[in-house]
Amino acid sequence: MMHTSTAIDMQDRFLRGENSAVSIVQHFLQRIARYDKQIGSFLSVNETKALERAEHLDKKRASGRPLGKLAAIPVSIKDNILVKGCLATCGSKFLSNFIAPYDATATRLLEEEDAIIIGKTNCDEFAMGSSTENSALQMTYNPWNLKCTPGGSSGGSGAAVAGRLSPLSLGSDTGGSVRQPASFCGVVGFKPTYGRISRSGLVAYGSSLDQIGPMAACTADVALLMEVLGRSCEKDSTTIPKGPEDYLSKMDGSIRGLKVGVPWQFLEGLLPEAKRVFDQGLEILKSLGAAVVEVDLSLLKYSIPAYYIIATAEASTNLARFDGIRYGVRSPRSHTLEEIYDLSKEEGFGPEVKRRILLGTYVLSAGYQDDYYKKAQKVRTLIIKQYRDAFQKCGIIASPVSPFPAFEIGSIRDPLQMYLVDIYNIGVNLAGVPAISIPSGFCHEGKPIGLQLIGPQMHDVDVLRAANAFEQATDFHQAIPPEYAV
Amino acid sequence: MSKLTKETIKKLTQLSRIACTEEEQESLLRDLEKVLVYFEQLNEIDTENVEPCNHVIPDIVNVMREDEVGPTLPQEEFFRNAPAKPFDGMIRVPPVLKQG
Amino acid sequence: MNTEWEPVIGLEIHAALNTKSKLFSPAPNHFGDEPNTNITEVCVGLPGSLPVLNKEAVRKAVQFGCAINGTIALVSKFDRKSYFYPDNPRNFQITQYENPIVIGGEVIVELNGDEKTFPITRVHLEDDAGMLKHFSGFAGVDFNRAGCPLIEIVSEPCIHTPHEASAYAMAIKAILQYIDASDCNMEEGSLRFDANVSVRPKGEKTLRNRTEIKNMNSFSNMELAIESEIRRQIREYTSNPDKHPDEVVVQSTYRWDPEKKEPVLMRSKEFAEDYRYFPEPDLVPIVLTEAYIEEIRKALPELPLQREKRYIHELGLSSHSAFILTSDKPLSDYFEEALASCEYPRSLCNWLTIEFAGRLKDSGQTIMDLGIPAKNVAILINMIEQGAITGKIAKSVADDMMVNPEKDPQSIVSENPDYQPLHDEAEIECYVDRAIAENPQSVSDYLSGHEKALSFLVGQVMMMCRGKASPPLVNELLKEKIKAKS
Repeated sequence: MMHTSTAIDMQDRFLRGENSAVSIVQHFLQRIARYDKQIGSFLSVNETKALERAEHLDKKRASGRPLGKLAAIPVSIKDNILVKGCLATCGSKFLSNFIAPYDATATRLLEEEDAIIIGKTNCDEFAMGSSTENSALQMTYNPWNLKCTPGGSSGGSGAAVAGRLSPLSLGSDTGGSVRQPASFCGVVGFKPTYGRISRSGLVAYGSSLDQIGPMAACTADVALLMEVLGRSCEKDSTTIPKGPEDYLSKMDGSIRGLKVGVPWQFLEGLLPEAKRVFDQGLEILKSLGAAVVEVDLSLLKYSIPAYYIIATAEASTNLARFDGIRYGVRSPRSHTLEEIYDLSKEEGFGPEVKRRILLGTYVLSAGYQDDYYKKAQKVRTLIIKQYRDAFQKCGIIASPVSPFPAFEIGSIRDPLQMYLVDIYNIGVNLAGVPAISIPSGFCHEGKPIGLQLIGPQMHDVDVLRAANAFEQATDFHQAIPPEYAV
Repeated sequence: MSKLTKETIKKLTQLSRIACTEEEQESLLRDLEKVLVYFEQLNEIDTENVEPCNHVIPDIVNVMREDEVGPTLPQEEFFRNAPAKPFDGMIRVPPVLKQG
Repeated sequence: MNTEWEPVIGLEIHAALNTKSKLFSPAPNHFGDEPNTNITEVCVGLPGSLPVLNKEAVRKAVQFGCAINGTIALVSKFDRKSYFYPDNPRNFQITQYENPIVIGGEVIVELNGDEKTFPITRVHLEDDAGMLKHFSGFAGVDFNRAGCPLIEIVSEPCIHTPHEASAYAMAIKAILQYIDASDCNMEEGSLRFDANVSVRPKGEKTLRNRTEIKNMNSFSNMELAIESEIRRQIREYTSNPDKHPDEVVVQSTYRWDPEKKEPVLMRSKEFAEDYRYFPEPDLVPIVLTEAYIEEIRKALPELPLQREKRYIHELGLSSHSAFILTSDKPLSDYFEEALASCEYPRSLCNWLTIEFAGRLKDSGQTIMDLGIPAKNVAILINMIEQGAITGKIAKSVADDMMVNPEKDPQSIVSENPDYQPLHDEAEIECYVDRAIAENPQSVSDYLSGHEKALSFLVGQVMMMCRGKASPPLVNELLKEKIKAKS
C-alpha cells in the first residue's frame, strides 16, 4: 500500500510512472479525511493547492523536464514554520488569524525540490511544551493509543507520520520537541547540528537552541530531507557556512568498531520499561560490531535548569513582537495603546506561554541576570565541554529519549514535572550537537519507545549512519498503529 | 537567591506587558517560585572562571552581507494581517504619548 | 550666598549612516518614500525573521572610530534592548551594550581662538525605530525607518556651556560629512542630539542628577534648550537651599518644544525602564583584524581639523575663517574647487563666507543649490585682485550672478558698460578735480590731519564715476592734487 512505503520508494514509483502525483496526494488526503478526526494532527489541510501542484508535477514528468529530489512527496509542516499564504498559528489563539506573508527558507527549499506541502500540523503553543496539550487550538492524540499524548511540541508532526497521514514532516526541536514526539509516536525524528538548517521563517522560541527537524518513518527519508534542507542560508546569520551534503550515499556502511558512549551515571534511576528497551537497543548495536563504553555526562543533571533559564530568557524577547500592533489578534476590549499591549497577550497567550515569558523576563531583569542568565550560560559552557570530552572516548552517545513512553493526556499537570520529561534531550540543544530518535521497541502496553543517538557537532552523517545501521537490523520502524494500518 | 513576591510578579507583568488577573498572578507566583527554587541547584556548580556561552558554534563569526538593496515585502503582504485598517499607508494605532 | 554654578553636559548623538540598505536587512535605507514601502519581514518584526549584518555599516562605523582617534574593538557584538513602543517592530532594539565597536576617541574644536579637546566615551551601532505620526484621535506607524543603521556617539560629560555643546556637535557633524558616513540632515532626522544636563557648585567633585533633553533639531535650538535647562536647574537649587540636591532635581526627560521654545517635561524616572540587555543570539560576533582597521585608517580622507590647519598654514586664512569654512564640508569643497583656478584664498574665503553667504541667508539655499559654478566665483575674485574691476563693481556683479547663476562674471562685465572699469586717467582726474573743488571743507580737514576726510573725497569721486575707477588710484590722485594745491 502506498502509505506503507518509504518516501524514497514512493518517489521512485512516481518517477517510473507507476503512480501519478495526483494519486499519491489523493491517497494521503483520503487518509487524512478518514483518520485525522480521531488523531487531530492537522490544523489545516492544503487540499486544493496540493492537488494543483500534483497535477503540475504529473505534467512536468510527462514532458520530461527534470524533477526535484522530493517530487510528488507530501510533506506536512509544523504550524510554527511559515508557508506563504497559509495560516501559521503556532498553536496559539494570538496567531489564529495570521497568514504567513513569506516562506520559511525550509519551505522554499522543499518546494524547489517539488515536494507537495499537504498541510500544517498541530503543536504546543509557540513550541512550548512536551505533549502538544498546550496547543490552544485543538488536541492531538497518539495514534498508538488515543488516550495518550503524541509528545510535544511537534506532536502533530509525530502523529501525522505515525498514522501515515503524511510520509514526511518538519517539526522543530528546542529542548527535544522533535525527538520526544518521534519516540512517543514510533517514528524517526532528527535534530541536526545547530545551524545546519536555516531558522528563517521558523517562529523563534529559544534562538540559540531552535532547529527545524525532519521526521519520517525511516532514517533514509530523514536523510533525504537533510540533503534538501541542510545548507547555509543568507537570511540566517547562525547557519553553518557549508553547502548541501550527500547524506544518503554516506549513510550506508557498517558501524563495526564504532564506540558507543553511554552515560550510565546520568541514567541512574532509569525506569524499568525504558531500561529494558534501552539495554536491548545497546545489544543490537553491539551485535552490529559496536563497542559500548562508559562516558561521563553527569553535568546533564543541571541541563534542565540551564535550559529553562536560557530558553525562557530568549523566548521572553522573541515573543515581545506579538503585541497586536502589526498582526495577531488585537483584543476587542482594547481602546488605548496600553490596553492593546496588555489585553491582547492576556487573551491570546495560554498559561504556559505566560509562565515562560514571565520567567524569562525575571532571569534577565536587573539584579538577577548574573545569578540566573549569566550563570546558566556558564553552565552551558561546561556542559558543551563535557560532551566534547565524552566524544574523545566515543563516536556516538546512546541514551533513552524519554523516561517513559507516551503518557496519558492530562496526567502531568505540574509545569515543573512536565519540564523534567525532557531530561535526556535537553543537553543536546544546549550543546548544539546532532541527535536522532529511532524506534527501538515497545513497552508492555504496546506504546513505542525510541532510542537516542547523539553525535559531535557537524557529525550529522555519523548519527544518521548509526541510526540507519540499527534500522537495517530491526523492523521496529516498520510498525504502523493497527487502527491506521490500512 | 529568589525572593519572589506578589510585587515582583506585578512588575514582571508590567515589563512584559501582559495583563494578568489576580488569580493568574497568584498561580504564577506559586509556579514560578517552585521553578526558581529548582533553578537554585545551579549554585552547586563552580563557574568561577568560566566564560558564558553566547554562541554554541563559536567558529562562526563575521557573518555579514554586502550593502545591496534586495527585494522588499510588498505593502499588501504586510497589511494583510493588520489588526486595524491602515491609514494612508501607515499601521493604525490609538493615540500615543509623544516620546521624542 | 553667591554660588558659582558649573554646568556639566554630555551629548549623545545619533547619526544615520548613509548605506544603501538597512543595518540588518536589504531593505532600502532611504528617506521620504511612501510609508511602509521600504520594508522586509525583518524591518517589521514578522515572526520568523532574522537580522543579517550590513558590512558597509561596520566599515563606516570603523571609519568614524578612526577619524576620532578612538580604539576600534577587535571583538564586538550585539545585544537586545527590550522596551515596548509602537515604532519598535520587535519590541527590542538590537544595539551594542557590552562590547561597542569603538571605545574612547576625541574631537578637537576651535573655540574662541583656542583649541579644546572633547573626549568621547564610546561609539556603537544600533538599528533605528520606525516613525510615529500623530493625528487627531489616533496615530500611524511607518516602518521605512525601522532597521536603518545608526551610530550612537556618546561624549564624556566634558561640555560646560551651550556654545561648547553646539561647537562639539558641529565638529562631529563635520567629521561625519568628511568621511561621507551620513547625510547629517537634521530636518530629515539623520542627525539627532540628546543632551544630558546637570549643574553643580563650582569645585564640587561629584555629578548631580541630570536631566535628558531630546528633540533638539538645530544647533541654535540646542543652545537655547541647554541654556534654558541650566537656568532652570540653578533656579531650583537656589530656591531650595535646605533640600537635598537629589530631591531638588530628579532624573527626568524633557522634549524640546519648537513652538514654546522651551524644554517640556515628558516623564520622570520613577518607573525606571529595565532594558534587560543580553547578547543577541541571532547575530555572531564581529571580529576585526589590525590589518583591516589599519587599511581603513590609512584610507581616511582629509578630516576637518586637518583641512582647517592646512587652510591656516598653507593658505593663510585666519583660524576663525578656516573653522567656519571647514565646518561646512560642501562649502569647503566648493571653495577648493574654486581655488583650483584662483590664487587668492583669503579673498575667495571672504567672498564665500561673507559676501555670498549674506546674499543667500534669507533664501535658505546654498551657493551650490543656486547653481553658480565654482569656477565663476574664482573668475570674479581674480578680476578683483587683478584690478580688472573694483570691489564695488564686483558687488554688483555678484548680485547679477545671484539672479543669473549660470552666467560667468566676465560676460556680465563685458555686457554692462556700467561695469567697465575706468582706465582713462584724464577722466578720473577730472572727477578728482571736481571733488576737490566741490568739497573745500573736506580738503582743509584732510590737510589738518583728518584721514577720514580723504576717504570721504574718495567716495565722492567713486560716486561720480559710478565706482568704475580704481580706489587706490583715486586715493593717490587726490593726495597728489591736494598736496599740489596746498
